[in-house]
Amino acid sequence: MLSSLGTNLMATLVSAIPVVGDDAAHQVQTIPESIVPATRPTDLGWAGLILLLPALSAVLCGLFAAFRVKNRLPGWATVLALGGSFVMVCLLYAHHDPNQPVVIHLFDWIDFSWAEGGTFESVRANFALYVDNLTIFWMLFVTGLGTLIALYATEYMDEDRGKGYARFFGGMSIFLLAMSCLVMGDNLVLLYLGWEGVGLASYLLIGYYYKKPSAVDASKKAFIMNRVGDLGLAIAIWLTWMNFGTLEYNGIFQAVDQYLPQAADGTLATATMGAAPLGWSAHLIPWFLLVGAIGKSAQLPLFTWLPDAMEGPTPVSALIHAATMVTAGIYLIARTYPLFWLDKMSGGGALVAVAWVGGLTALVSATIAMKQYDMKRVLAYSTISQLGYMFLGLGVVQTYGACFHTFTHAFFKALLFLCSGTIMHGLAGQLDLRKISGLRKAKGWGVTTWTMFIGAMWLSAFPFTSGFFSKDAILAQAFVQDGYGYRFLGWLGIITAGLTAYYTFRVWFRVFGGKELRIEPGPEHQGDPSTFHPHPPGWRCKSVLIILAIGCFLAISWGGEEGFGASHWIYGMLAHSSGAWGLPLHWHAGDPTLFGFDPHASMYYVSGTFGVVGLLIAFYFHLYNRKAANNLENLLNRSFATRWLPRALERKWYVDEIYNALFRLPTWLLARVLYLFDRIIIDGVFVGGVARIPITLGRVFQPLQSGILQGYAATMAGGVTLIVAWVVWVWLSKAGG
Amino acid sequence: MEFSQKLILIAPEILLFCGAVVVAVLGLSNSRGIRRAVPFVTALFLAGAVVGTVYVYRNEDALQASGLLFPRLGLFIKCLIGVAGIGLVALGTGTIDRTFENAVAAGRARFDPLRVIRGEYHAFFLLSIVGVMLICNATDLIWLFLALELSSLPTYVMVALSRSSRRASESAIKYFFLGAMSAGLFLYGFALLYGATGTLGFLEMRDVLTTMHQSPEGLPAIAILGMTLALLGIGFKIAAVPMHFYAPDVYEGAANHMTGFLSIVPKVAGMIAIIMLCGTFGWAEHVTFSPEGTEMIQEGLPAPVTAVLWMVAVLTMTLGNIGALLQTSIKRIAAYSGISHSGYMLIGVIAGTENGIDAVLFYLVAYAIGTLALFGVLSGLSRAGHEVESLEDLAGLWRRRPRMAAALALAAGSFVGLPPLLGFWGKLFIFIAGVESGHIVLVTIAAVNSAISAWYYLHIAGVPIVKMTTPRSEALTPQPNGSPRVVACVAGLALLIVPIFSRNIYTFARSSMRYGELTLPVEDATALVDPDTKKTPGPEEDPPEED
Repeated sequence: MLSSLGTNLMATLVSAIPVVGDDAAHQVQTIPESIVPATRPTDLGWAGLILLLPALSAVLCGLFAAFRVKNRLPGWATVLALGGSFVMVCLLYAHHDPNQPVVIHLFDWIDFSWAEGGTFESVRANFALYVDNLTIFWMLFVTGLGTLIALYATEYMDEDRGKGYARFFGGMSIFLLAMSCLVMGDNLVLLYLGWEGVGLASYLLIGYYYKKPSAVDASKKAFIMNRVGDLGLAIAIWLTWMNFGTLEYNGIFQAVDQYLPQAADGTLATATMGAAPLGWSAHLIPWFLLVGAIGKSAQLPLFTWLPDAMEGPTPVSALIHAATMVTAGIYLIARTYPLFWLDKMSGGGALVAVAWVGGLTALVSATIAMKQYDMKRVLAYSTISQLGYMFLGLGVVQTYGACFHTFTHAFFKALLFLCSGTIMHGLAGQLDLRKISGLRKAKGWGVTTWTMFIGAMWLSAFPFTSGFFSKDAILAQAFVQDGYGYRFLGWLGIITAGLTAYYTFRVWFRVFGGKELRIEPGPEHQGDPSTFHPHPPGWRCKSVLIILAIGCFLAISWGGEEGFGASHWIYGMLAHSSGAWGLPLHWHAGDPTLFGFDPHASMYYVSGTFGVVGLLIAFYFHLYNRKAANNLENLLNRSFATRWLPRALERKWYVDEIYNALFRLPTWLLARVLYLFDRIIIDGVFVGGVARIPITLGRVFQPLQSGILQGYAATMAGGVTLIVAWVVWVWLSKAGG
Repeated sequence: MEFSQKLILIAPEILLFCGAVVVAVLGLSNSRGIRRAVPFVTALFLAGAVVGTVYVYRNEDALQASGLLFPRLGLFIKCLIGVAGIGLVALGTGTIDRTFENAVAAGRARFDPLRVIRGEYHAFFLLSIVGVMLICNATDLIWLFLALELSSLPTYVMVALSRSSRRASESAIKYFFLGAMSAGLFLYGFALLYGATGTLGFLEMRDVLTTMHQSPEGLPAIAILGMTLALLGIGFKIAAVPMHFYAPDVYEGAANHMTGFLSIVPKVAGMIAIIMLCGTFGWAEHVTFSPEGTEMIQEGLPAPVTAVLWMVAVLTMTLGNIGALLQTSIKRIAAYSGISHSGYMLIGVIAGTENGIDAVLFYLVAYAIGTLALFGVLSGLSRAGHEVESLEDLAGLWRRRPRMAAALALAAGSFVGLPPLLGFWGKLFIFIAGVESGHIVLVTIAAVNSAISAWYYLHIAGVPIVKMTTPRSEALTPQPNGSPRVVACVAGLALLIVPIFSRNIYTFARSSMRYGELTLPVEDATALVDPDTKKTPGPEEDPPEED
């Protein structure tokens, strides 16, 4: 069976190459349905509460910290505020007409206009919310998960009650505020504001244990690496205004709509249709947007900050670094999809780049995850890998799959992180796979065991889980969509699916499997290890885990295939939004086939098989016969030709070391050189010489500043006389003559 | 205009005047508690005046009949000066009379009504604020002159009272004589203007001047001389070149909280007076009709006035910045930086009404908040019983008083115009107005000056953070009274938070520049784009500051 798969793989690899050259050209591009212009209802002002409530709880947390509140008040205030925010989003969902995007104006912010104030005649970024299906979809899981995880954190952070507790929940509130601003803003500037805001919150929360050097380093690393992406986003925003003359989504979408027919004709740069021809820089916009998305969503090559970010408290890892913030890159691309589409129609390759970034990231980080021993790091690499899938989905023009996967991933990955959080909490900070075994036998750990099992099943895309459906939607599209190397990427995705199942269940089998309970307590435990008893999670943690597990099940019916009792709720949540441009135009039309079947049906079998095989391998090596795993490693280490493999995986393909050599070292050298330059040239020559000029000038005037009253009066009178004389000379002598 | 309606419009001022009397009497009480309450009573009266202003300016009839050049200008300015006044009261709380009061409390001295000055100081404080508020209600030159003097005369005394040091008296004397000279100067200008136009009222004078301007002969020489002298004289209040020489000495001699007062109150007074005068000279009637009946935009200020203002603006910002480069005393730096800020604001005046004055009003808010933060820090700290004087005193402040160092950095950042802070928006609006009115060279000079100013502002921000504590700065201790530090923190935070609402303040400023006839203001193009979401801010909107 394996050999047949191998030949199949080779055949596909070979067949992938001709697709590039001629097939892409003959396919006729269909212009997607235009986005309805937004209306401005005046009765939805209460939607501002979605942002106001987290802001309020952030302020409250600050006050609690100032007044040294020692109880759980900050936590509960945050839970209530975020819950309120979630309720408001639900209300908005109920009120919102799915076919009609709206702009809810809150208040004026940046508003410069000249001439008529139209396109190219204004720089406008007001505090307004752009609400369409995509916005609501994103906000539903952001605020919903935010509430649940804040509830979990009220228990998790218990030991830090006091200042740290308030600081933590303050950070969470700031994060939710910024994330809402990012998702709901009606223009790119608000998005940028939120983008920086979530970066700030992430920085603050990763460095929550600021006395731990590794946490401080990790927070700095995250912040600095994100700057690279942020620069890309900033440039993209600037280029957007330069080309479309507006920063508001509504204006951008309408402008893109105008240009699309020209893009299809290939006359974008020449023709004028009431608008200026689009310059070459317009083609750079999606590329720079991609740079921004790569930074925030931790894709190749900017992914190394995310594993280190696990230094933060686990609820932070679950909410910010797994479920919500890192999906901001996906949201950015889905939101600006018309710009990508315009690029694609005019022959650009930005979407192909998105797909390649995603596919490669998915595989690379999955391989790294296979050899990590820290449970949270495995999950972090798996997050990067899953985000790669979402990028792949966006790249192969399957926003439905990407957003569906974002949604399901948010649930199961938050669940997995929160489970590992209870383990870390209960085992005094122990996260090493090698030091925990048979945890399922411990008293009070049933909920963690089985919810984590559900999370692992969903992550490894076991057949008929929601992860299975969402992943398949992406992979099937990769095989039927024309684009440079999409089939190759599809195979990468399928291999990754196998690896995913393996590393996920490696964790679960190692930690929970095993004949008897065997635990080495973590570094936080003081005293004799033999007397250590893991303390199980309390009711708040457990209930959150159970709710999330239920959510995982519900996600099947919300987004699953037709035929499995679903109504495409998620498909509907993308319709009529900017993301709708990436929906497959002929859903179930059935014309493209894969291996002779409907592509989705084929993919169920192929990727399902890979997943199950990965799971079985994990079962064999990490539960059934753990000695075999060691034997295998010894075998690899014995031969010089294969020894590098486990080491490279464990050292994360030496990416950090490479970056150190490529960027950190030259920067450090440059800094030294500049420092010397500063000391010798600036301080020596410049300050000693050039900067003397204004100072000398000042000295010329200083005698006037003698401190003697008569002198001042005389100088003032003299000055006035001079000016009056000048007026008389220049203006009045002429008037007189 | 009905006398009663005139009275209604100045009701807040009347309230403050009564407050001055009450405060002066309370200060003489032999109960220590009552004497301690004097600043609070002062602040209460100021708050009452702000509320009263908001209420009074709802009276459309009175505004219609007021005969004012800019009927709504008062709302913005009075709210600004009232709220800033509350902050300034807080800066000085507990400073005046401290030694004497301590001696009385310790039983070392007997209470003597002749020796206490707290009541007088606060009474003068309120009188000066009344003067500023009355400037907005001036309908003619006499009123303007009296109001300007009412705002100035108390400050001469206040400088002398502010601390018991010979230098305070010295600077009070300097300030008084030079102030008197400037008053003589602009009074002479006013007289010439009266001679040229035959009227004192602003509205009539504006009409006469417009007619003269459009006649073939142009403006008479005497009018141009009058305008020049009036503007140069009032330049004293905003410390514009060549009337700026007093500023560093007087600022240095006065107590820190008084320096804060001097940097805000006379500057607001002078700016408003200049705006009203320029409104009379030129751009008040900026839309006129040509003989053919087509609408045309008038040039704006008469060319000589623009030229004088241009020159004064350039000299003011440049000399202010160069002067500040040399100083080590933080108060002298503040004085010179205040001078240069006057220069920036004059750009808005030159640009005229379209956007310029709105930008100036906005800039005043940013400048006032920044100054409150700066002087909040300076008056909140003391060095072995003395005031903070040199920049070196603040070295290492970050390690011991992080909030004070942060407030200082925010104030300095805002003065430079670092992007998220309020000062950035102020400069941005001013520069945009300058560019739009075609004064590119002027804006370029201002931008270069801004860059030069970064040198000393970054010192103010950096010395407390980067430098290590020195033996000299180790002696820095907080003042016993915490209210200046609260002002510093609140103002510092405001510099961060208020920018979110910068558009609202700008719209508020814009709405306060409506002309004599109370028709709808000329809204910008945004109104045409989204009419249903556009809202004009209600009169209850304060310039957000601390109180």
